[in-house]
Amino acid sequence: MKRFKYLLNKIKWAIFSILFVVVLNFFLFRVLPGDPARAGVKDPRMTADAQQAIRIRFGLDKPVINCFQTLNPLKFGNCLINPFQTQFFIYFGNLLKGDLGISYQTNRPVGEMLGEFLLNTVILIGLGQIISIILGIILGLIAAWKSHTAVDFGAMTFSLVAWSLPTFWLGIVLLFLGSTYLGLPVVGKFSAGMSLQVGWLKFWDVAKHLILPTLTFTVVVLGEYMLIMRSTVLEVLSEDYILTAKAKGLSTFQILVDHALRNAMLPMVTIIALNLGFTVAGAIQIESVFSWPGLGLAIFQAVNRRDYPVLQGAFLIIAITVIFANLFAELLYSYLDPRVQAS
Amino acid sequence: MSRKTWLLVMLVIPALVLSACGGAKTKTPVILRIGYAGSPDTLNPTAGMLSEAWTMYELVYSSIYEPQYDNSFKLDLGESVTPSADNLSYTIKIRPNVKFHDGTPLTAKDVAFSLNFYRQNSNFPYMNGYTTSFANATTQDDTTVILTMNSPVPNIDYLLAYLYILPEHIWSTHTGADAMQFDNAAMIGSGPFKLVDYAQGEFVHLARNPDYYGTKPNIDEVVFQTFSNEDALVQAIKTSQVDMITEFPLTALDTLKSTPNIKVVSGPAISPELNDILMNQSSASNCPTTDGGKCTGHPALQDLVVRKALAHATDKQQLVNIVLLGEGTPGMTLIPEALIPWYNTTLKDYTYDVALANQMLDQAGYKDIDGDGIREMPDGSRKLEFRFNWPSDSTVAPRAAELISNMWSQIGVKLQLQALDPDALTSICCPAYDYDIIFWGWGSDPDPSFLLNVMTTNQIPTGSNETGFSNTTFDSLYVQEGKELDKNTRKEMVWQMQQIILDQVVYIIPFYTNAVQAYRTDTFTGWIADQPKLELQNVLSLMAVKPVK
Repeated sequence: MKRFKYLLNKIKWAIFSILFVVVLNFFLFRVLPGDPARAGVKDPRMTADAQQAIRIRFGLDKPVINCFQTLNPLKFGNCLINPFQTQFFIYFGNLLKGDLGISYQTNRPVGEMLGEFLLNTVILIGLGQIISIILGIILGLIAAWKSHTAVDFGAMTFSLVAWSLPTFWLGIVLLFLGSTYLGLPVVGKFSAGMSLQVGWLKFWDVAKHLILPTLTFTVVVLGEYMLIMRSTVLEVLSEDYILTAKAKGLSTFQILVDHALRNAMLPMVTIIALNLGFTVAGAIQIESVFSWPGLGLAIFQAVNRRDYPVLQGAFLIIAITVIFANLFAELLYSYLDPRVQAS
Repeated sequence: MSRKTWLLVMLVIPALVLSACGGAKTKTPVILRIGYAGSPDTLNPTAGMLSEAWTMYELVYSSIYEPQYDNSFKLDLGESVTPSADNLSYTIKIRPNVKFHDGTPLTAKDVAFSLNFYRQNSNFPYMNGYTTSFANATTQDDTTVILTMNSPVPNIDYLLAYLYILPEHIWSTHTGADAMQFDNAAMIGSGPFKLVDYAQGEFVHLARNPDYYGTKPNIDEVVFQTFSNEDALVQAIKTSQVDMITEFPLTALDTLKSTPNIKVVSGPAISPELNDILMNQSSASNCPTTDGGKCTGHPALQDLVVRKALAHATDKQQLVNIVLLGEGTPGMTLIPEALIPWYNTTLKDYTYDVALANQMLDQAGYKDIDGDGIREMPDGSRKLEFRFNWPSDSTVAPRAAELISNMWSQIGVKLQLQALDPDALTSICCPAYDYDIIFWGWGSDPDPSFLLNVMTTNQIPTGSNETGFSNTTFDSLYVQEGKELDKNTRKEMVWQMQQIILDQVVYIIPFYTNAVQAYRTDTFTGWIADQPKLELQNVLSLMAVKPVK
């Protein structure tokens, strides 16, 4: 019962946070100056009729919300109109139906577009996370065990450098080296014509395209995991029960895996869960450098083209991922460490 | 798993992969790989706005006329287009036995349907603009269309060149608002290439249309690959991952020129992005206050002497050399120099002459009274200090702005430089006229009318007229040239209009940028790069290109 109440409380706050993001997202873009019907289109062929048609098609001719026709430039409007005929409630109503709107740029449903992008991001980030988590844990464990030796010093230096490298710079350097010396592809998900292939050939082609972006992601994230793992293991290794384990004559491997690792995993799990949420957005730089068609690239392109429905949708997905990752971390934490729940 | 089994697996997997690769090679068609930084916004021609989308329409669809590199138009799907005696109707004969990519015959009914479809939907951003003078299109027989007009036009070839013929059996069910939201995923046209596969923002994969009515392309397939990182474009062509790139950062010019098997070509683009320095000339008399006009421009900019002095103080050649690394030419008016025959070749630009500019300002009473290096208005009320803005997504503007600021400081003019988000810039620009000077640009068009339209008085309230320039002679010439059926007389009028806008310094055009592209010489050959204009990805060039071996 206590656990159920705890869960309910957390979910309540998560839903409240999402609602807040929805409202903030909507007004954020409306406060920006300019007219999406004219933005980015500076072509003499674009007639005034066509501009007005764009506004009507995307509902931009309707007031933003009661009393406000537009927010920037601030234009007051009728306060007594049906609130369900305002942009805000139409957006909110559509959102409840799962409709994220239509992209200004591509005329396609945003939900459908983001679904494709999200899948690609999950592939890239998922793979990168798995590799960096495994390597981070192993390297952190070794560095802690061999603390204050050359191995530890080497691992620490590598982690600190990797963690502080600018992502886009590392991406471009790896892009240059990988394509020049290893012949690895530098763009997208498929080589020309490979999208139509099936089976191994297609799998192999996508895998080759994944190498450089995944490597970039792994190097950037690995350092953080390694450093945290190292410091937690060091702390655990100074505990009395480790001394007891040594006294019992257990092997180094047994001590590290059965006693140190399990206890040191608590902070790691939190960091990993939180990171999962943030990395969906954090791949913007990597995806832009390697033209990987994921959510990050979609955001980058939508910003360039002022495609507000896509941005709103993408921000919402990121917010939901971060909020749920937090929720997941908290719940997991309470499961792993009963003291959290009690407090 | 035992060590032996592992070893077996490690050997078998690569062998399988290699054999798969080898097997596929024998069947693999010749694919031309093009790298570009953009991506079509939509495959639907009624809604497309980006030039990348229009490149695809040109390849996949056919139209009555086809645009050529020299700005002329050649009959394509049309066999003849004959005007009536009063020029109020055209008899369009189309080729017989033409098929759409899905095998359905293309008849006069499809042509009439398409022309009427574009005409009836005023919400189509660009397509509708070509049909405003059309009244109706009807069929006479399977290969004859009668197009009636509201008024005679001088440029029917141009108007028909971009109206792509859509299959009626597909599009007739997509009417009204649905027309623009139709994703047109199959993209059934009748052009030399047909769509094979497409992923938004990733690639467009086209293949030769075996049933094409004209000369068929030499290549089997072409893939346009989108790059979101321009440095990767350079790396891709260097490592032979693509065969041609449509653009690249000019900083890579020397690297690419010195790379073996890569040829860099440059020249005026087919649809150049025009750069312009626009000066707020709106006044209290023509300020569109009901449309949000604020008209806060610096009063000095309404004085022709000041605008002329600024033109004299602009070293355009230096801008070309530094900003474009030489890949461009000094600009003249909003009509680009490659727009032959419409570009007025007799125009003489304001010479770069700082002394003359200073002398002009001195004589007009703009003196530096307080000796701070900045001139004051003749009545001493304000300094010649202008706000100078540019869109933050422009790659050329920041450097250009810095250089222009230095150039104009020599004549006692100070600029407050600030980049603005394009949306913010639009909101201060027009029809608000809440700026002094903006470094911006226009897209261009093969016909001069659209670009001249943005300087007419009628376009002040809509904001298309960005400067607030208003001139009755120019306005009436614009109306006349739109009706003039004799090409030479029309040309005279268009030339005269350019003289007016140059004399009045409506804009200062800093430069015309070149298209700079590169291709690999060891994979494909036959690219068209020796014409008055350059666009290697143009349908004419892709029809000519063929594999080296």
